[in-house]
Amino acid sequence: MVPGSITERPSAPAMLDAEPAADLLIRLENIHVSYELADGSRKKVLDGIDLDIRRGEFVSVIGRTGCGKSTLLRLVLGAETPTEGRVLADGREVVRPDRDRGYVPQRYSLFPDKSVIDNITFGPEVEQFSLLTRFTPGFYGRRREFRAEAMRQLRRMGLHESDANKYPDQLSGGMQQRVAIAQALVMKPKILLMDEAFSALDPGTRAGMQKLIRQVWRETQTTVLFVTHNIAEAIHLGTRIVVLAKDGAESSGSKVALDLTVPSDLDEEFAKIAGRVEAAAGHSRLDEDE
Amino acid sequence: MSLLSISVKPNRFTAWLLSWFLFAAGISLYFYTAQKRHQENPDDRVVPTLAQLGAGLYQAAMNPDADEEPASDAAGQSALERFRSGMLWKDTVASARRFFYGLALLFPAVLLGLHMGLFPYFGTFFLRFILFFDKIIALSVLPILFIAFGIDELSKVMLIVIGVTPTIILDTFNLTKSVPPEQIVKGFTLGARDFDVAYRVVLKQIWPRVLNSIRLNLKPLMLFLFAGEMIASTDGLAYRIALLRRHMGMNIIIPYVLWVALLLFLVDLTMRLLNKRLHPWFREA
Repeated sequence: MVPGSITERPSAPAMLDAEPAADLLIRLENIHVSYELADGSRKKVLDGIDLDIRRGEFVSVIGRTGCGKSTLLRLVLGAETPTEGRVLADGREVVRPDRDRGYVPQRYSLFPDKSVIDNITFGPEVEQFSLLTRFTPGFYGRRREFRAEAMRQLRRMGLHESDANKYPDQLSGGMQQRVAIAQALVMKPKILLMDEAFSALDPGTRAGMQKLIRQVWRETQTTVLFVTHNIAEAIHLGTRIVVLAKDGAESSGSKVALDLTVPSDLDEEFAKIAGRVEAAAGHSRLDEDE
Repeated sequence: MSLLSISVKPNRFTAWLLSWFLFAAGISLYFYTAQKRHQENPDDRVVPTLAQLGAGLYQAAMNPDADEEPASDAAGQSALERFRSGMLWKDTVASARRFFYGLALLFPAVLLGLHMGLFPYFGTFFLRFILFFDKIIALSVLPILFIAFGIDELSKVMLIVIGVTPTIILDTFNLTKSVPPEQIVKGFTLGARDFDVAYRVVLKQIWPRVLNSIRLNLKPLMLFLFAGEMIASTDGLAYRIALLRRHMGMNIIIPYVLWVALLLFLVDLTMRLLNKRLHPWFREA
């Protein structure tokens, strides 16, 4: 199916098998990404990636540092364009970031000049009111609704109402990421893109965040593309795991080295899958940070 | 441990004493020199005494310019009315007007820098030219400005524009470029359009730093204003200083210099406090 790839195709979830075309949300077609270096040569990052993501999937993308997993996420986001190939979201080619794809990066996930509540209401406000119309009477009524919805999201993320007027630098790393998730979810995006979103957190906070995102995913059924370099996290969270790895020479770009569905009876299969993922990635612990 | 060691911190009282020491030493040295010179020559005009400075300040504040015709009801005027018709007030108003014109012209410069930093076509179009423009010594084009714009207000304001705006444009450009790309992408994913990202995400984030940049450029702004006033003006603080230089009027020049410094200090302080008040989230590096 994928020319030149070493992809092991997943057995798709039964509920998605019925109408694969309708359920297809993201398609990456023969994606190549390379950069020109200072000496004029080109560095390949991604080399012929083909990937389909269906609605409701929680896809964990893992690989070693520099393998291009964040590049892959930025392609889906629309923040980067492939050298070759194309990315489709809901059947339309992705050309720039938009409100259909929520984004939670590892750092700078919140606007530092806005309070927690203003960070969450920023999306709805900016979408419905331009620079000029935000000073019209109708704005203030709608704003109350936005704030009420933001408070609901805040509570759902396990934050207190007293945190609403704090600025991001007054929050811990975990709280900041909770707000960032609320900020993205309030827009009801079709897909949530998380780029090493929990990597900077301490192990305890990270475990709490993993539980939270899993719960949010179950409740909202939002498709999630989750980039991490932590194998346990990828398996624990994902319904599907995509491993990116270079196929041979260091100068080559990364391909999809493994693409599999995580079974629901995770506990039994965990050790087996971890072994296969490690083998495919060519490293026992990748770049574990814990 | 040596007092000059990096790890030694002065206590509160010592810090207070040290920070005021040079002021006290400067003032003491001045009055000592004034006294000495007046002992040798009671008519000395170079280093006026405190009484002469006070008289000079009173004269500047309460009396109109010697070239002006005195008001017919001058004797019946209140102290406030006399102050408002005095040359210090009138010169201050004239300079302040030009200063605020110059300051107002920095805002389009901020917007240009913002757009250059965000919109690649804008950046490509303007950057090379602004970098070149920044290297032009503003005072060297003063004769050209006087020829092109005449010797009225416009040439003085243009001098400020040429002298300060390129720095503000480039500062804003660099500040815009320093905003993490994640923030811009985040803005788009939240439904923002290009101008929303520019004004509601980026400008709001860099604004406190832009204000700091403007604060740091207040002195160059005043410098260009003073250069224009000294060469071609009929009013203003610098015009008065240049005029009194011919008459060795140090008893008025020194209060004028201190008055200008005080005004600039107050403008700077106001901007700093406003910045702090309006942007509680902002932490200065």
